[in-house]
Amino acid sequence: MSDNIHVLTVDDSASMRALLRAALSSRGYNVSQAEDGIAALEWLQDNGSEVDVIVTDINMPRMDGFGLIEALREQTRFRDCPILVLSTESSDEKKARARSAGATGWIVKPFDAEKLDTALRRVTH
Amino acid sequence: MFHNTELSVGQPRRITVMQGHAYVGAEPNEILTTVLGSCIACCLYDPLAKVGGMNHFLLAEPTPGSGTVADQNYGIYLMELLINQMMTRGGLKSRMKAHVYGGANMHVGMARIGDANARFAINFLAEERIPVARADTGGESARRVDFDPVLGRTRCRVVEPVAAPSAKPAPRPQTGGGDLELF
Repeated sequence: MSDNIHVLTVDDSASMRALLRAALSSRGYNVSQAEDGIAALEWLQDNGSEVDVIVTDINMPRMDGFGLIEALREQTRFRDCPILVLSTESSDEKKARARSAGATGWIVKPFDAEKLDTALRRVTH
Repeated sequence: MFHNTELSVGQPRRITVMQGHAYVGAEPNEILTTVLGSCIACCLYDPLAKVGGMNHFLLAEPTPGSGTVADQNYGIYLMELLINQMMTRGGLKSRMKAHVYGGANMHVGMARIGDANARFAINFLAEERIPVARADTGGESARRVDFDPVLGRTRCRVVEPVAAPSAKPAPRPQTGGGDLELF
């Protein structure tokens, strides 16, 4: 189990959020969710100290994943928080942009719950 | 996997979108085509960017907690893949319109997979705020769909059930999906 690791997932697809919540909750994670970068920043403003890791999609309305990562890395308290991108995108160009923005790593959808669990434990321990 | 058939000069190039795939086109004289039984094909179109695409999925989404990977067999993956591919080609989600086809219940007495697939597609598009301009789903007949991605025009007609692909999961491509790449 995941020792109550608190993960914030950011994805504009309600179906994908439901799938992520089910996959992570069943493995013992404490899951919070936001529907885009702006909603994530707003939630983190009040609850940021609780979060151990952030998993974000890239293509989202209002603020995409790149914008979210850049905004978080500008804040001292999120400078070292692991941020994983979870996206159907897999181009080297997009990955380079995420790396430049400050992402910790990249996972290509479709995601495997076991592999996601392993990845989250790896970046939080 | 896509089957390309170059007919002759002036004839449209027909691209068959197989089960488990999504394809986006922005070239004139290109027709995306597929044959559906209980599967769903969703066609998305951005009239300003003149880009359109089609996916073809077998099932809606895995049962939460089942441990099944939401892979190329599932709409939850292929819908997002199609939207993202559209955006990569210049499409804007706020301008997209959708057509939804398929979802037949081919075998009387068996689980109504087609209805569940169609319901998923319509609900997913509603959540994404993408209006459905046309839907032709349900029934017991196979369908052939032709879609012009630049003009956004579709043609859907009933075909013999034998023309529909079997409702079996497509072989999983070796995409490396799900693996962590650390920066």
